[in-house]
Amino acid sequence: MAYASSGSSIAMPRIRLLRIVLFLLAFSICVPVSAQSGNPPPADQVFSLTASRSTEGGLQLDWRIAPGDYLYRDKIAVKPAGGETVAVTTPPGQIKDDPTFGATEVYHDHVAANVAAAGLPAIGQVIVIYQGCAERGICYPPVRKSIDLATMAVTNGVAADPLRGIEAAVPNESRVGSPANISGPDDIASATTRLLSGHVLGMLAAFFGFGLLLSFTPCVFPMIPILSGMLARSGEHLSAKRGFVLSGAYVLAMALAYAALGIAAAWSGQNLQIALQTPTALGVISLVFVALALSMFGFYDLQLPASWADRLSGTVAGKSGSIGGAALLGFGSALIVGPCVTPPLAAALLYVAQTGDLARGAAALFALGLGMGVPLLAFGTFGAGLLPKSGPWLVRIKHVFGFVFIAMAVWMLSRVTPEWLTFELWGACLIGLGLYLGATSALSKKFWCNCRVGPEIPGAIALVCGALLLFGSIPGNDLLRSLPILDSCKTNDEAAAGIDVQTVTSLATFDAAMTTARVTGKPVLLDFSANWCVECKIVDRNVFGNKTVRERMRDVVLIRADMTDYNDDSRALMQRFNVVGPPTMIFLDAQADREIPETRTVGPVDADAFISKIASARGS
Amino acid sequence: MTTMTTLTSQPAVLLRRVLISIALFAAVGSQPACADEADTTRDAILNDPAAPVAGNPKGDLTIVTFFDYNCPFCKKAEPNLERLVKADGKIRLVYKDWPILTEASISGAQLVLAAKYQGKYDVAHQALMNIPGTKISAEQMREAIKASGIDMDRMDADLKEHADEITALLRRNLAQADSLGLQGTPAYLVGQYKVTSALNYDGFKKAVADARALAAKH
Repeated sequence: MAYASSGSSIAMPRIRLLRIVLFLLAFSICVPVSAQSGNPPPADQVFSLTASRSTEGGLQLDWRIAPGDYLYRDKIAVKPAGGETVAVTTPPGQIKDDPTFGATEVYHDHVAANVAAAGLPAIGQVIVIYQGCAERGICYPPVRKSIDLATMAVTNGVAADPLRGIEAAVPNESRVGSPANISGPDDIASATTRLLSGHVLGMLAAFFGFGLLLSFTPCVFPMIPILSGMLARSGEHLSAKRGFVLSGAYVLAMALAYAALGIAAAWSGQNLQIALQTPTALGVISLVFVALALSMFGFYDLQLPASWADRLSGTVAGKSGSIGGAALLGFGSALIVGPCVTPPLAAALLYVAQTGDLARGAAALFALGLGMGVPLLAFGTFGAGLLPKSGPWLVRIKHVFGFVFIAMAVWMLSRVTPEWLTFELWGACLIGLGLYLGATSALSKKFWCNCRVGPEIPGAIALVCGALLLFGSIPGNDLLRSLPILDSCKTNDEAAAGIDVQTVTSLATFDAAMTTARVTGKPVLLDFSANWCVECKIVDRNVFGNKTVRERMRDVVLIRADMTDYNDDSRALMQRFNVVGPPTMIFLDAQADREIPETRTVGPVDADAFISKIASARGS
Repeated sequence: MTTMTTLTSQPAVLLRRVLISIALFAAVGSQPACADEADTTRDAILNDPAAPVAGNPKGDLTIVTFFDYNCPFCKKAEPNLERLVKADGKIRLVYKDWPILTEASISGAQLVLAAKYQGKYDVAHQALMNIPGTKISAEQMREAIKASGIDMDRMDADLKEHADEITALLRRNLAQADSLGLQGTPAYLVGQYKVTSALNYDGFKKAVADARALAAKH
């Protein structure tokens, strides 16, 4: 399908070129008649709008009107994105009284209008609508502009489809309501944005609550083994208090990482969390995990110098599982291990980026991180307290976590490595595990259990599975594909099989795909996805793997914005739609080139919720 | 008042001025008729079977008019155009309801296109074009159509029954106007020429003569 889009993008300019050539040819013939040229300039150029903050903190709008053109006073309207029209103060215009026109007030040359601050939201977009005519005998359709209240930048509000209201079957009633829906990404953020601009304590509590909810999602699950590994490594001194201190450090650092994310967003305009999903960053962190694993296996003891650890913990240390290490892991985990873009996170990041209100945004994200960490803290404190004090099993546990860390390293790398290589790595892991279990079976029997089945059985299974993966996934070998057990490991593309996907990675390819999509008259689903995005794979499986969804998707054009390579092109695409990161899905009205309100999903979504989004996208 | 003057007197200046925006749209017709642009080919614009047609259906010249029922210039130019079509006798006139100015324009276009199913498109069309002003509400338009003697029950029934057809036609009109690069109402295609502002009688007459002259050359 990628070919289809690029194919038509080549064909389009050719047609256009042909049209231009023919136009010029024909034009040269008729020069005597049309001594002066062509189409009138579009309304957009005839009436040029600039916006600024008025001295009272409101919004000042200035229009320059081309000679011979005029603007209607009563057609100037301002409304916050998604809101109701607000009052606009306009000066009296010139009265134009004409039998055919009726009496109207119009402006020539220049006009300024004001909107009081009271009617405006603190941040976000407002839509300005205005309309006028040219004296020479042409009336323009309404012009729609979008103004960013933070920057006062005037951009093209996406043109409203004039027929939008009548598409539903009952023509007379369905026209009611405003045609002026705009391209804002407001749905996701509106609730949380309102929270952000509310009282500080309320906001912090709300974000803490969001964090708590998020902690029961795959965003936080991977952190549990990491934390457990930390605790296990700290050895004998694992009292509940020690566990609390260590997991507290971990959680605090994790929350700080989220706050840092907000600051980075404001400072650089980039999402640090996504920037860290590059192959290099993932490679480095995988190495860290391997190093941690080796330390677990007892190859060396990985600790901060005792003096640092003492100072950090404030306790007299015997063998302290280092607090600094815990903090470091917590910070890293938040940024790299659980790269989850969720509505509250997206809202807070957008808020920070748009308002530049660092303190508030960072505080909100900090509270979010703390909320996410609460279960970890509970686990660290009570889980640790429940463990027996000491014994040879501790060595075993450390080894187990060594394997967990190795698995984490592979899992992290799998975001960027090709599928076959990932399977090879998993195969190697399993073989290692099998060998380990086999080698230790003799001496370890008494540690594991007193039952007859020793670890050599799972060890053998691990060996066989590992070998199968190792040899089966060599490129060109179809052995793996024939194994039904691997059905659950389907990749993105396979899960979405049966749905035509056009993959785009830049604004140019996106526009080309939209041109193709427009012809179909169907709504477009723009799906921001990436190979490294774990959540995206879950969405793929749960949503696009769903039979009903696949059926419904026949009436929708799927365009996938692939963010695997996080570069300027993909950033531009994300910025255009105010997307913070994958997974984000947006339904677009291809005809009107605008986002269909209330259809955006950020973060994980289940099939039922998604089906209702399809329904509202098609119903709009 | 200035506009009035422009349109009714000073024919010499006027001609220059009104023809300012005349340009060829032949290029539009030369597109390959590929499926995705089927609605906007020259043939589709001139011969849309659903588009209302007046004048001489076998005339040697086709004028296509793009208009809005809240467009003052359209209303001003309309009688001139109708008069010329009648006087000339060999002009085929195609109506493209192009409701882009107000919400009510859409409603008006729907009503008038629904009246077509009882053979009264021209009656309803004239009724709306004869209401002066730029802020005619949907209700006012309905009243005007009622006053013109249209069977309202039938019109409403047709509006319901043919809603999809009417919408599809309006969509095609919109797409065609876009493909022609039209920026506002009114706009006319006169033979090979594209006129993008209102004309007076002489203006239309001159455009028609030029278009015929051009057609004769080819």
